[in-house]
Amino acid sequence: MRKLLFRHIFFLIPLLIMGNFTHAQEQTDVTFEIKLSKEKLGVNERLRVEFTMNKDGDNFSPPDFQGFQVVMGPSQSISSSWINGKRSFAKSYTYILRPTKQGTFKLGQATIEIDGNTFKTVPKTIVITGAVDNPNAPKTADDVADESLHLVAEVSKANPYLNEAVTVVYKLYISPSISVTNFRPVDSPKYNNFWSQDIPVTKYNTNNGTYEGKPYRSVILKRVVLYPQKTGKLDIEPLSLDIYVDVPTNRRDFFGGKIYTQANKTVSAGRRTLNVLALPESGKPADFGGAVGEFDFSVSTSKTALNASESLQAVVEVSGKGNLKLFQLPEPDLPSALEVYEPEFDESVRTTISGMQGKVANNYTVVPSFRGKYPIPSISFSFFNPKTKKYTTINSDEITIDVMEGPTDATAITPISGGAAKIAVPTSKQFHFIKVTPNLTKIGVSYFFQSTRFYMLLFGPLFLIPIVILFRKKREKDAGNVEGNRLKKANRLARKYLSTAKKELGNEDNFYIALEKALHNYLKAKLKIETSEFSKEKITSLLSEKKVSEEHVEDFINLLKNCEMARYSPFTEVQMQQDYNKASEVISQIDKQL
Amino acid sequence: MKEAYMAILFFLFSFGVIAQNNTLFQHATESYNEGEYNKAIGFYEQILDNKQHSSELYFNLGNAHYKLGEIGPSIYYYEKALLLKPNDVEIKNNLSYANNMKLDAIDEMPETVLVSFYKTVVNYLSFEQWAYLAVGMIFLFVLGYIVYYFLYNATHKRISFIASVLGLVLAVISVIMAYFQYNEFQKDNPAIIFSREIAVTSEPNDRSERLFTLHEGTKVNVVEELGNWQKVKIADGQTGWLPSEHLKLLKKF
Repeated sequence: MRKLLFRHIFFLIPLLIMGNFTHAQEQTDVTFEIKLSKEKLGVNERLRVEFTMNKDGDNFSPPDFQGFQVVMGPSQSISSSWINGKRSFAKSYTYILRPTKQGTFKLGQATIEIDGNTFKTVPKTIVITGAVDNPNAPKTADDVADESLHLVAEVSKANPYLNEAVTVVYKLYISPSISVTNFRPVDSPKYNNFWSQDIPVTKYNTNNGTYEGKPYRSVILKRVVLYPQKTGKLDIEPLSLDIYVDVPTNRRDFFGGKIYTQANKTVSAGRRTLNVLALPESGKPADFGGAVGEFDFSVSTSKTALNASESLQAVVEVSGKGNLKLFQLPEPDLPSALEVYEPEFDESVRTTISGMQGKVANNYTVVPSFRGKYPIPSISFSFFNPKTKKYTTINSDEITIDVMEGPTDATAITPISGGAAKIAVPTSKQFHFIKVTPNLTKIGVSYFFQSTRFYMLLFGPLFLIPIVILFRKKREKDAGNVEGNRLKKANRLARKYLSTAKKELGNEDNFYIALEKALHNYLKAKLKIETSEFSKEKITSLLSEKKVSEEHVEDFINLLKNCEMARYSPFTEVQMQQDYNKASEVISQIDKQL
Repeated sequence: MKEAYMAILFFLFSFGVIAQNNTLFQHATESYNEGEYNKAIGFYEQILDNKQHSSELYFNLGNAHYKLGEIGPSIYYYEKALLLKPNDVEIKNNLSYANNMKLDAIDEMPETVLVSFYKTVVNYLSFEQWAYLAVGMIFLFVLGYIVYYFLYNATHKRISFIASVLGLVLAVISVIMAYFQYNEFQKDNPAIIFSREIAVTSEPNDRSERLFTLHEGTKVNVVEELGNWQKVKIADGQTGWLPSEHLKLLKKF
């Protein structure tokens, strides 16, 4: 026995010496940690607490084990080994604790001085539950799997606005001690009241991270972009997965490796509730159509000058980030004279983890049929920006389309008469230039209709009728007055037949020719005889037949004789005057008797 | 003596205004031709401020506004020009250009055959023309009667009698037509919408229901007025109220 001890010491000495050489190399990597056998245990179970360090230290002081009774400890253990010329050292203080009551307890910090520096452990929280059935049984594979797998739904925003993008990322945290062989979704959540878009995960990348302070590996299993469509509290249904894991057991195989057992575990991410905020009412533009995000808006036409019956494209486009697929594009107000076809919807939207981005556009095909200018007034597009929490309105530019060639509108409305009838306007190809003559008049209209002048002109002529009737009556009365009437009539007859003769009074030859002609004309008119039958005898007999007194017939014949005589012998002016007077008297006398 | 001076002064003044307006008109024509439409509009409006107008002036104003792409004013002034000269082909032509710019396409209310016949007859002539026709027919009647009264020949008498009776009947019809047309004209109070877009409501207040919207350049008929609101009727027969600052009456010179 003594010999054996000596051999051991003998063997250890060089190790210790060598240890001092390597001392300087490992000084920087000092660790001092606490390890718990369980973090959750029944009140009738026991807890093993181990404080380990990789370098020897002094003045170890354990924490205050409040709520626990120290059953055993501290027991020290030191292990030191050389592997490939590298020394590893571990020293641990182990306590076995028994909880005294139920509840949540905190293990405080343990301290130790290593090379003059004080190191502390991280405080730990331990939950003590009620008594368990089998306090000292080893953990089953299921238990281990339970503790080592955590499915978490990470929500980017807990209080989003209506229609604001929310991403949900499902992450599986796996403890390094187990390995996942397969998984299969049991229940895919239906996102009621959300517009959802799944972003497929093509490659499962493992990231190292921590879960509740412990090292874990994490895998992103599912990513979803959600747009809440309702305000208030909305639930996201949990995602359930069936996971096959390999769990290490305490048993070892022939080579000392751990034997793994298969376990099947269903994990689900907890139900999450989003509190969706309504968009603010204050400052909400009238034309707000539910667009939430950051957008740019434009209205453009492919041409601004063209000929009639050619077509052009009017594009109403919204681009940017936000709920691009979830709102209506504003419609342009195009002049009614333009022929507009149903718009073609054009969408190029990419959905990424941060939401939709891209552009949506309505392409209108517009065909003007007539010449003219067609202004497309500016239209506005409003959206809510959740970042600034304000509404923004963008107005498009006003565009004027100039149609250069083609017919003008064939119809126009009559301006004055009620506007009911449409009258055709001669299609003229030109837009007329302004008029250059002013023709200015004073402002103020006076109508002829219902004016005094109108009434006077309308009723005035009616008074003419009684006046004329009165005039006629007077004349008939005058006809009764024989003497006056005779004179008047003689004058009139003389005027009628002897006017030429009167003009030639004094000119002997012409006077008698005119007088003779006048007398003949008179007879022609009164007796309706032909010129050929014109002899004095014939005249005498005709006049006698008409019961003209002989005295007057004789006078008439004498006058005719005078006319004939005048051709051969000279007559004085006095005689001419006498003959003229005689002629007018004879004509009127004969006329009376006819 | 003093009155005589005043009269001469007034005459000179009014003559001066006319001369000034004619030069303004000329300036406006030049500006328009140069493409300075706003300047031209300024000149034309000065003439209107001087209380003078003409169909040509309104036509030119309409043209200038059309060139600037202003729908409401251009239609307004063309319609005004047409009120003064209802049968001018150039005005109608340019008005159809301006009408192409407006946004509203309102279907006209269909009419019964009887109504449309009545309207065609009554609107065949304006009431002024009917009035002149009536006066002419009265003269024909009187002339025919007098000729009838004086003639002895039976055939001539018959012709003149028929002419006079025809004249009287036509005169009475013309006067009646003129009255109908005048009433129609009085009832017809067209206006042009000047606002880009205006909601027409069912009652003359801001709280009431919105019936339909009208856009710039649409012609409406003002039926009634209450305070600052006007009841309008559009071509398809719908009526509603809108604040009067959104429209301009055509017959207000």
